This record gives sequence, C-alpha cells and structure tokens, in this order.
Amino acid sequence: MDTMQFIIGKFNYWIYIVLMMIGFYAMIAKRNLVKKIVGMNIFQTAIILFFISTSSKKGGATIPIIQGGHGDAAGHVIDAAQYLNPLPHVLMLTAIVVMVSTFGVALALLIMIYREYRTFEEDEIYETLEVMRLKK
Amino acid sequence: MKFFAFIVVLFTGALLIYGTVDMPDWGDPGSAPNSHVSPRYIEKTLEETATPNAVTSVLADYRGYDTLGETTVIFTAGVVCIMLLRRFR
Repeated sequence: MDTMQFIIGKFNYWIYIVLMMIGFYAMIAKRNLVKKIVGMNIFQTAIILFFISTSSKKGGATIPIIQGGHGDAAGHVIDAAQYLNPLPHVLMLTAIVVMVSTFGVALALLIMIYREYRTFEEDEIYETLEVMRLKK
Repeated sequence: MKFFAFIVVLFTGALLIYGTVDMPDWGDPGSAPNSHVSPRYIEKTLEETATPNAVTSVLADYRGYDTLGETTVIFTAGVVCIMLLRRFR
C-alpha cells in the first residue's frame, strides 16, 4: 500500500496544480482581457490554497486560538501539536490583500482601455492600433 | 497558438507535479513549515503578547512590519485606482 500512501499524501498538491494550470492557461491563451484577469485570480487562489494546506496537522489539531486564553489557563504549558500552524494563515492574509489590490488596479486599467478602444478583445485592439498606425 | 499554449501549460504542470514528490505529506506534523518557527509562536503567544489568537499576534505583533507593507500596498492600489479613473476634464 505504499503507492496508496503516496497518492493520499500528495493529491492535495495535484489539485492545486490543476487549478493553477487552469488559471495559467486562461492567462496565456484567452483573447479577452477580462478572462485573463479572472485567470490570474484563479492562479492566486490556487497558491493561497496551497499555502493554507501546508498549515494542517493530523492528530486532532484545532484552529490556532489558545483555549482558555484569557484568565485561568495562563501559565500552563501549551503543546504546539494541538494547534494548527498560524504562519501560513498570516502570510495568506497578506497575499489576499495583494490579490485584491492587483485585481482592483487591473480592473481600473481595463476601464481605461475600454474608454479608449470600446472593446475588451485583444485582436480588435490590435486592429485598431494598426488602423491608427496606417492613418499617420 | 492555443495548441502551443496548451503544450506550455501541460509541461509546466508536469514539472510542478514532479516537484511535489519531495513535498511533505498532507497534514504531517513534522513537516518543515510546521516545525521551525511556528511552534514558538504558538507556545509564546500568550506569554509575550497576551493574545490567545496566534494569527492575530503574528500578524500585528511579531510580523508588524509585514502588515505595514501590506497597508502600503493597498494604499498604493487605492491611489492608482483614483488616478486612473478620475476624469480630467
């Protein structure tokens, strides 16, 4: 059952890789700029899921909030194996903020592109640019 | 062109899946991200910061500069959005 253990231990990474590759394909193959941005968001979501999954611990670990924190339990020994790893959660909070920021700036840029060219399609933007270049 | 993109995606995915062979198993308590600095955060959070929630204490106390940079990022994004979307006439 060694192969089975291997698959059970690693299949979460494979799910994130599949999700990430869906986003990657949308980023490099789609012609619509909105779909490219949605692909970038899927990519970032896959990375966030990957980091969160590294914080899990088997064997009855719970969320990283110390039980009985305020008051009576202060001073007793805390076993780190009882609580999930807080560090990936913190890093992914930062990553979510960066993701929202890039998403907002990208959408603002898209609005500017739409005001200029009246389309989101890359091909039509290139055609317009070509027409403008020939007019000069 | 789309076929070429599909080949690139397949190649990258295969490379990443090859990389997962050396990754720790899911939920392994002794894996690298769970073993060095995070047990210290969990054990010392009550003693040093008086905050039961380890995520809060790491975010706002141990790694406060990280959060400062995060607020800088979101402030910059807000300024850029305003500059882009403002009508100039």
